[in-house]
Amino acid sequence: MNTQTIPPLAADAPVVLEMSNISKSFGAVTALVDVSIKLRRGEVLALVGDNGAGKSTLIKILSGFHQPDTGTIVSQGKEVRFASPRDARAQGIETVYQDLALIGDLSVFHNMFLGREYHKRILGLNLLDNRKMREQAQIYLDTLGISIPSVNSTVDLLSGGQRQCIAVARSIYSSPKILVLDEPLAALGVRESAHVLGLIQNLRQQRQVSVILIVHNYNQIFEVCDRINFLHSGEVALDASTADTSEEELIRIVKSGLGRKAIDAAAAEVRPGIV
Amino acid sequence: MPPIEPLKAGKNAVGVKAPHTMTERLLILLSRYREASIAVVAIVLVIYFQVGSDGGFLSPQFMSVVLRDTGRLGLIAAAEVMLMITGEIDLSLSAIFSIAPYVMALMSVTWGVPLAVGAVIGVLIGVLVGAINGIITVRFRVPSLITTVGMLFFLQGIVVSIYNSQPIVAPVEQPFNAIFGQSLYQPSDALLSWHGVTAFTPFLWTVLIVLALALALNRTTFGLHTIATGSNIIGAREIGVRADRMKIYNFMIAGGCAAFAGIINTAQFTSADPQAGSPFLTLQAIAAAVIGGTSLLGGSGTVIGALIGAFVVASLNNGLVMIGAQATVSDIYLGAAIIAAMILSIQVDRLRTRRRL
Ligand SMILES: Nc1ncnc2c1ncn2[C@@H]1O[C@H](COP(=O)(O)OP(=O)(O)O)[C@@H](O)[C@H]1O
Ligand SMILES: [Mg+2]
Repeated sequence: MNTQTIPPLAADAPVVLEMSNISKSFGAVTALVDVSIKLRRGEVLALVGDNGAGKSTLIKILSGFHQPDTGTIVSQGKEVRFASPRDARAQGIETVYQDLALIGDLSVFHNMFLGREYHKRILGLNLLDNRKMREQAQIYLDTLGISIPSVNSTVDLLSGGQRQCIAVARSIYSSPKILVLDEPLAALGVRESAHVLGLIQNLRQQRQVSVILIVHNYNQIFEVCDRINFLHSGEVALDASTADTSEEELIRIVKSGLGRKAIDAAAAEVRPGIV
Repeated sequence: MPPIEPLKAGKNAVGVKAPHTMTERLLILLSRYREASIAVVAIVLVIYFQVGSDGGFLSPQFMSVVLRDTGRLGLIAAAEVMLMITGEIDLSLSAIFSIAPYVMALMSVTWGVPLAVGAVIGVLIGVLVGAINGIITVRFRVPSLITTVGMLFFLQGIVVSIYNSQPIVAPVEQPFNAIFGQSLYQPSDALLSWHGVTAFTPFLWTVLIVLALALALNRTTFGLHTIATGSNIIGAREIGVRADRMKIYNFMIAGGCAAFAGIINTAQFTSADPQAGSPFLTLQAIAAAVIGGTSLLGGSGTVIGALIGAFVVASLNNGLVMIGAQATVSDIYLGAAIIAAMILSIQVDRLRTRRRL
């Protein structure tokens, strides 16, 4: 699959999402401090950082699973407040969580449609339209080129890679405007990874979907991402376009743990009053 | 979207481990056909008692007793299944079973409130107690085992303190009693006559409610979200399932079912006894649920299985006595059956969670 060349993002691509000054603590643990990120239409943003840097917490705030202690989220030009993942999904923000959020005891097709089930009325009762969901799931997975033994099998019978593919497929079913993927390639082999990255490319090019992608493999970042945000100890330490950065430079910065912001912070300590 | 070169995972995809040992295969079979396997046990039991009692076990009179017990136990067992699927349990159901009809009878004798109205109030009390159990459990994160044991003593204390803990002779009002449990059956009646059917009304009500619960569990969004809540509560929340609400709703359903079971019991015996529901009733119902194939870990269960499980427990209770065993001996068999069912259930669960890794 050809994923080498990323067409440059249109210079006037509008900002679809702005998270500003987000902070979040869990009791004594501070997960995020004053984090701001910006996402433009059709942009693929890589979120990188060590384990515990706060990446998952940030995207769980975006998905409505956590509520921030401070900070604002502006989506499509309007300030939004997500009280639950339902609210975020209703705004066209779909998330593939690191833990995949699949229900092991339910079938693949029930998982695909969990929270947005198809119904049919029988004798005045609002019953699940299992046949429609089964068919749609099968058709959809076929279109995406994801092959599993059966959409009827319960998810806990599938392999890690297959489950990851189901979670990704579920997240793009409703044609989201913003797609958030937390380590979606972790359990995937080389071919499967390339496949999912190809899906992301397609979404970006054909539907102008904006993507936030958390990955650890820098190769893959430079394959599909427009911009990189490096999260370090709950702060954004680097915000750079992939065109202006090389893989070597990124690795050097990540290893040092000092990004632009960290350097600014060090400077601010010398000149108090700027903070 | 244009098709992308497909990934060939196919039938032999990694991760789908074929079961190897005979035991594993048997357990998978049992977990897949839970209702069928417990039905086989029930049929074997019926044959055993039928032969042992020279044909007395399946007589209408005796079945009327066994099915009456099955109805009472089965309704509470089905209620317990709904909760166990969400990963919770309710030990206060026996107290709700006592208090709801007690309030109904008390209102009838003191204020002349019609039984039908009292019954509705009784069921609402059950639903309300369920809601309180649920809210305490999810809001304050008290394990439901503790919440509901507290509620059990609390309600038991209330019900014995009102009216000096005297059993009340409940008035008979028709058609209320005839509809909700009073047996008009005489040995001379045909089984398929109106009088014949009344011998089984408690059981028929339970069947009706169990079928409704089965429909809710397997064919509605409510059921899907109930299973999701118990199977993977964090994942369910992440995808937008209102897991806490699902738990509270199921506590409310359980409370309503227990209240209804108590009201049927009172309509049947025309007496409201504050001690009508002993905690053993709840424990036997949980046993029936597990024997019927409901997981102790949440995420999986069957109300139909619970009804068959209740029949097994009721058959053991009555059948052993009938074929000449001492009443105490029947407890030994019941105890052994429960332990065997628990061991089996945990083996099946282990297989389930192992696959999940
Ligand atoms: N629900 C939670 N309760 C308490 N602490 C949490 C919770 N979620 C995350 N944390 C803490 O917040 C920090 C950031 O975690 P996380 O966002 O998962 O990091 P990452 O995804 O970058 O590895 C960690 O120190 C983690 O222990
Ligand atoms: Mg993470």
